[in-house]
Amino acid sequence: MLSRRGFIAGLGALAAPAAGWASAGDPVALSGAKLSDGSFALVGLRLDGGLAFSAPLPARGHAGAAHPAVAEAVVVARRPGRFAMVVDCARGAVRQELTAPQGRHFYGHAAFSEDGSLLLTPENEYATGAGRIGIWDRRLGYRRIDEVSSGGIGPHEIIRLKGDTFTVANGGIRTHPKTGRERLNLDDMEPNLTILDATGSIAHQVPSNAARNSVRHIAADEGGRVVVGCQWQGDPFDAPALVAIYAAGRLTDLDMDPGHARGLAAYIGSVCAHGQGAAVSAPRGGRVEVLGPDGGLVVSARARDICGLCSVAGRTIATDGLGRVYRLEDGGLSRLAKHPVAFDNHLIAL
Amino acid sequence: MRLAFVFALIATPALADVNRALDAHILPGHAHLVETTSALAAAAEDDCAPETLQAPFGSAYDAWLGVSHIQFGPIEDRGLSLAMAFWPDPKDSTGKALGRLTEAEDPIVDDADAFGEVSAAAQGFTALERLLYEEQANPDYACRLTVAIARGLASMSDELSTDWQAHAELMRGAGGIERYQSETEAQRALFTALLTGLEFLHDQRLGRPLGTFDRPRPLRAEARRSERSQRHVELSLAALEELALAMAEGLPATEAAFAEAKERAAALDDPALEGVADPALRFKVEVLQQSVRAVQVAVIEEIGTPLGIQAGFNSLDGD
Repeated sequence: MLSRRGFIAGLGALAAPAAGWASAGDPVALSGAKLSDGSFALVGLRLDGGLAFSAPLPARGHAGAAHPAVAEAVVVARRPGRFAMVVDCARGAVRQELTAPQGRHFYGHAAFSEDGSLLLTPENEYATGAGRIGIWDRRLGYRRIDEVSSGGIGPHEIIRLKGDTFTVANGGIRTHPKTGRERLNLDDMEPNLTILDATGSIAHQVPSNAARNSVRHIAADEGGRVVVGCQWQGDPFDAPALVAIYAAGRLTDLDMDPGHARGLAAYIGSVCAHGQGAAVSAPRGGRVEVLGPDGGLVVSARARDICGLCSVAGRTIATDGLGRVYRLEDGGLSRLAKHPVAFDNHLIAL
Repeated sequence: MRLAFVFALIATPALADVNRALDAHILPGHAHLVETTSALAAAAEDDCAPETLQAPFGSAYDAWLGVSHIQFGPIEDRGLSLAMAFWPDPKDSTGKALGRLTEAEDPIVDDADAFGEVSAAAQGFTALERLLYEEQANPDYACRLTVAIARGLASMSDELSTDWQAHAELMRGAGGIERYQSETEAQRALFTALLTGLEFLHDQRLGRPLGTFDRPRPLRAEARRSERSQRHVELSLAALEELALAMAEGLPATEAAFAEAKERAAALDDPALEGVADPALRFKVEVLQQSVRAVQVAVIEEIGTPLGIQAGFNSLDGD
């Protein structure tokens, strides 16, 4: 994407030098949170589970993206929200608000380009249902400069892989803000995982293992393996595998024993790579699990309202709606800290 | 306002009595399960004829309904949930698993230890119900299978009950131990079992056969072959009420909501819940389902809120 817009590249030099993440208390991950007084914030978490910073937000954010170098994050509104907030994490304040273009809404997720100059946001062009990826230029004060196809309906999470290739989880579910989160095409879903190359063109696509298995959340490891977590839009007692790994152009299910998906309420909230396998959270099932590379269950732990999950510095960290921060290991779940907040759905690893 | 706050602080320790829930509900419930499944196994060994086993099967299944909502602890650690009862079963895994064993006349049924390794769908109450209430093409093999399942149920029940003795001590001594780091965690585990049990009753036991108005699904009713569907609704309400009232005292809204739901369940007069497909009778099941919802609301308010358990910030919002 950078090459296609090389003409703007020179502008980067004009940006004022800004403080790095050390200035925000050295967080290893970020999370949206609801505070005990009912207000919302973006918080930074340290590796020991302590809070690095807390920046008040005017409204509830879902997830977003952390800038690779500067202590700045973009928190995106929950679906079908149309705003996103640029947060100065060193000062602990919102610096700017972004609004989705007319006829679009966000999906709560975003990703930065490798050098942090571009922000990519999955969006719904709701008149047609087409999934779009909005492109915003940070060097121009987050001006919207372009957009590309997401490769499907309902683009949910986007993550950056090596260089400036990106993976998009197209959940396949069509919605319209008029009807909130109502699913309008349950009998006609085509969820897929789409790889966008550095020019924003679709390089590769793989369908989900079943039409009603909505691919939703994705996370990559350093080797480029992508863990995929799904939300089954059918009878929870009849769910296919909910977790898959994308590697070398193939999407491979992590097999689950019969009954396994039941305990997860057929709904994966967050995923991250964990060793050669995957860690997954199931907020509705109240569980977090480690799955081996072939899908064998390594550990399953109960934790009410658990959802946030990320892999940082070789560790897997989890958060829940009761303010707890955990470390997840093959041997189980251990609590690192408890804060008087409700952590929102996702952890953004730095 | 301040007075109310102080009152809440004083009231909290009286709530969610872990000892009483263990001593008046979980432990006796499992002991009863052991008694009835042992009697079932003994009866099967004596005579495997379906008509003679239906009564001890009914008593054991009743006992299971008394504890089937306790899905944490031993049953989870041993992974026995589905082996005790495989339902819901939209893919008919039970029919298929029994069919495979029967077709091969698999001698595994004669080896008690090995039988524990067959598909969970062929092991528990749901499998035994088929054998006792459906015509069997191969009665000799069905007899061996019946004995194997009955023995397996008795032995699994025994394991659960034995493990619960130790697990109860973990919950009583909560604090400092990794599993239950505080008394609140033990209380929360009980409350989660209560709430999940109510949800299962609402969404599965009632929700599955109800389906939609245009497409009711009477064949999805639990234990319809033995015409125990309505009975399961009544027994599960009774068991969940017993747990709720053991956990806390002075729960007027909860008691009233349970009373109404139990009354509606008893008045159904529809053993296999076939009425869901009859527009004139369907509403009775729908109203019952709503009254189960009212119980959920009441227990959240009267037991969950004082425990500091709010509706899930994440589990409710999703995305």
